[in-house]
Amino acid sequence: MLKAERSVGLIFFPAFDWCITPDHPEREERLLYTRDQILEEGLLDIPGIYEYRPCVADDNHIQRAHICVPSVAKTVTKPHRIAVGGTMLAADLVLDGKVGCAFALLRPPGHHANRVVHGSRGFCTVNNEAIMVEHMRHRLGPGVRIAIVDTDAHHADGTQDIFYNDPGILHISLHQDGRTLYPGTGFISERGGPAAYGQTINIPLPPGTGDQGMLYVMENLVTPILAEWQPDYIINAAGQDNHYSDPLTNMNFSANGYARLTEMLNPDIVVLEGGYSIEGALPYVNVGIILALAGLDYSHLREPDWKPDALRQPQNVMPIVQSVVAQVKQQWETRLQEDRQEIFGKARFYVRERPIFYDTDQIVEKQYERIRLCPHCSGWREIYSHAAGGRIRRTKVAIVIVPWLACRSCRQEAMDDYRRLAGLAEFDQVFYHSCEEDVYLCTPDHHDPLTL
Amino acid sequence: MHVIGIDVGGTNTDAALINEEWEVMGIAKTPTDHGNILASTKSALEEVLAYHKDNAFVQLHLSTTLTTNAIVEGRGEPAAVVAIPGPGMNLAAFDFDFPVYLVQGYVDHRGRVVADICSEEVLNAAKKARADGAQALAIVGKFSQRNNSLELAAKKLIVEAGLGFSQITLGHQLSGRLNFPRRIMSAYLNASVAGIQKEFAAMIGQLKADNPILTDVRILKADGGTMGLAESCARPVETILSGPAASIMAAQALSQYTDENIVVVDIGGTTTDIAAIVGGEALYQRNGAVIGSYQTLVPALYTVSIGLGGDSEVHINDGQIRLGPQRAGKAAALGGTKLTPTDAAVALGLAELGECSKAIEALKQRAHGKFDTWEGLAKAIVDVFAFQLSAAIDEVYQRLENVPVYTVSEILAPPDIRPKAIVGLGAPARVFIPLAAEQLDLPWEVLPYHASSNGIGAAAARPTVALTLHIDTEQELMVIPELGVRTNINRGLLFDQKQARQIAVEQTAAYAQKLGLTDYGLIQIVEEETFNLVREFYTVGRIFNLRAQIRPGVQRVR
Repeated sequence: MLKAERSVGLIFFPAFDWCITPDHPEREERLLYTRDQILEEGLLDIPGIYEYRPCVADDNHIQRAHICVPSVAKTVTKPHRIAVGGTMLAADLVLDGKVGCAFALLRPPGHHANRVVHGSRGFCTVNNEAIMVEHMRHRLGPGVRIAIVDTDAHHADGTQDIFYNDPGILHISLHQDGRTLYPGTGFISERGGPAAYGQTINIPLPPGTGDQGMLYVMENLVTPILAEWQPDYIINAAGQDNHYSDPLTNMNFSANGYARLTEMLNPDIVVLEGGYSIEGALPYVNVGIILALAGLDYSHLREPDWKPDALRQPQNVMPIVQSVVAQVKQQWETRLQEDRQEIFGKARFYVRERPIFYDTDQIVEKQYERIRLCPHCSGWREIYSHAAGGRIRRTKVAIVIVPWLACRSCRQEAMDDYRRLAGLAEFDQVFYHSCEEDVYLCTPDHHDPLTL
Repeated sequence: MHVIGIDVGGTNTDAALINEEWEVMGIAKTPTDHGNILASTKSALEEVLAYHKDNAFVQLHLSTTLTTNAIVEGRGEPAAVVAIPGPGMNLAAFDFDFPVYLVQGYVDHRGRVVADICSEEVLNAAKKARADGAQALAIVGKFSQRNNSLELAAKKLIVEAGLGFSQITLGHQLSGRLNFPRRIMSAYLNASVAGIQKEFAAMIGQLKADNPILTDVRILKADGGTMGLAESCARPVETILSGPAASIMAAQALSQYTDENIVVVDIGGTTTDIAAIVGGEALYQRNGAVIGSYQTLVPALYTVSIGLGGDSEVHINDGQIRLGPQRAGKAAALGGTKLTPTDAAVALGLAELGECSKAIEALKQRAHGKFDTWEGLAKAIVDVFAFQLSAAIDEVYQRLENVPVYTVSEILAPPDIRPKAIVGLGAPARVFIPLAAEQLDLPWEVLPYHASSNGIGAAAARPTVALTLHIDTEQELMVIPELGVRTNINRGLLFDQKQARQIAVEQTAAYAQKLGLTDYGLIQIVEEETFNLVREFYTVGRIFNLRAQIRPGVQRVR
């Protein structure tokens, strides 16, 4: 009798009654054909593949990874709470040992959502994986090591932002080169903050990269790095827009290639991200991922228009892929030897300033951020964020964040800073979040009660 | 016109005669002659006809274990499947316990033919199936419910080759639901039991001819509805598991709770069946009936069977009592050798059955430790029965409430399905239902005729018909797999939801008429989805998925 080699918890939530706008790629229809394919293949009848209904996340869960301005209730809709709740359920199923691995096959996606949220960018409002990771840490304790491998064609800039300076997280993003695609970031030189330098790994791939190049990256770079870093859990943010038929990207992966990637990565939890070839790719890629997770034969899987010759990657692609792999590998190997004072300075704080554009909501945000270069912990940080445009009024907020495993003096300094900032008239709101203590403060409190 | 309902069950045959006023005129219960279902039917019919005092015509509603037993005991005709899987799951991995011959051909999820069948290959597969001993055949394609053309073409080739199959079942005709492996199993079973059902239908036809007062014969289905004799020969697989359905129909027909949520508990000797009724309608299995190792697409009422009954084994360990899931055998009161929950009830005077002294004796033999008196033990066994039953009911509802749903609105506003009362059937119901109800804090009702009500359930059943409608306005196509309809619609972009609903209702009515049904209930849309198809920022069409059915009503009986 057919049976999954490894049990898979599937949290399938296509949100058939939700869209950004009726003609947006993130619309009701997106997972329709995936649903049809999964049901028609009979995957849900296979012993060891179990389907679960998502739960609804509350404000507290979301605030563990985000500062939502002015409040969670005003920025995050119910569909987002369900996507977050479903992703957290995926982690719970694995942590409780109910299943061997889990797949949150749901929408809306999240990997472009930064820590500070004024609205939606890149079709994302809140970051499903990041909230799940914080949920896992609150269950497992601060010492857990989690690797996130993002295989969406777009750079996972939101996830990178949230874990940029987090020594407990290894964040690897494989994506189409930022010079050719939204969000225009994710270069090799983005390597993480002072306390987690080298643990942000970007692998920009040239347009046209196919299964061959992707498998080369997996085999020669991703797998060895994971083997060395030894995470307790591997999370795959599985965007499906590297597929050759995707309308928004220029990559050449096949459904079979995605299944092979999943098999090589052997993730504990997979979370769907982007992927907008809703008829030609998603039904087949998703079936491939489920089969690979379950340890079942995916070799008979192929797309209706699949032609091996047309999908061979262009001649010039492989040398570029090899060169990227060589550079990233070299950076990984030397990450601990490099002089961090030279990179981040010798001052008390490392400062960065940047503009952030919310393409979905047409908001422009300017951020000033300073991270305490603390010899004892990863350092508290302060963010000033000005946002305007779209449908929001001009806003200026200040945020103080105490990281996991913060030292006593950083905790004290952060709290003093929060009190100081809260007394200033300059800011519309001042936020304080202490990760480990799970304390979230806001002055003045626009925090609305959950209206479920 | 009167109605006679007969349920030929595994152990007993129940029959009931009901008059025009829907009053029960008489019921009969006889042991089933396992090897001869026709004889069991006839003798039950004779017994219950003794109550028939006037000349009114009689409609016969018949539920039997014929096809169920044929499947479970592997007595169907040797059958094989020619499958057109296209790419995807490796079909060989399913390891079906019947021959499946794979041929090329590929239909995608929108019902577009990507690759055609190869005539020679199809013929060779069919010839091979025949040579390997198959007498009946099923032809099933992946996504054939979206496009049946490959199945039809394959059938045409095989019929024209005159290979002598007694029956050819096409997958798309059985169900419009998505699930290729289940469609394969359903079609295989249908092909395999078609011969048996035809033979039986001929004999019942003869029975009808011999009894001029019988006007019409209806066969019960797993969804608690009925179908005509001719239809039962085309779709015999739908007659499986009609017995459990008859018991749920009986509960609905007899209960004082008409439009509320109730839980129906049918306590038997070995097992107890739990079914859920929501707002007066019995819930269906999510995908379809499961019979033996076969998962099918046959519409069936939702029941959960637990290993707990009047004859369950009594386990006592460290002062803990556990009942079932195995059957101990006949109750000691009835001359059995082992203690059963029935004995506990008899000894306490809660039930009158067999010899009370034997029940007490069986209790005394097991009474020691924490339960050192027979009364104490008997009381504890009865309490544990009620506890296990109420825990099982609670679990059933938890499972139902966690069935995955695919829309935001369903997550945020789930319907209230929890029961407002517990309704009991089966011989031990009078003893255990009030106790379980107390645990669940619910009012209870033990139905009149509860010990042999399946005949009443069969009589109260009404016709059901369900259709799946898939409209794709971009392709300007309308597909109704159950009817073999695949036609063009004009001016697709102007097509709207109202029209889709109207077509679904009209087609269901037309289908009912074609089947000769007149006394059916309302036609309702039970599932509905609409999607805008957007390609490159333009709406190019819409997809409508609807499922329409005749409301599976039940005739209330007094």
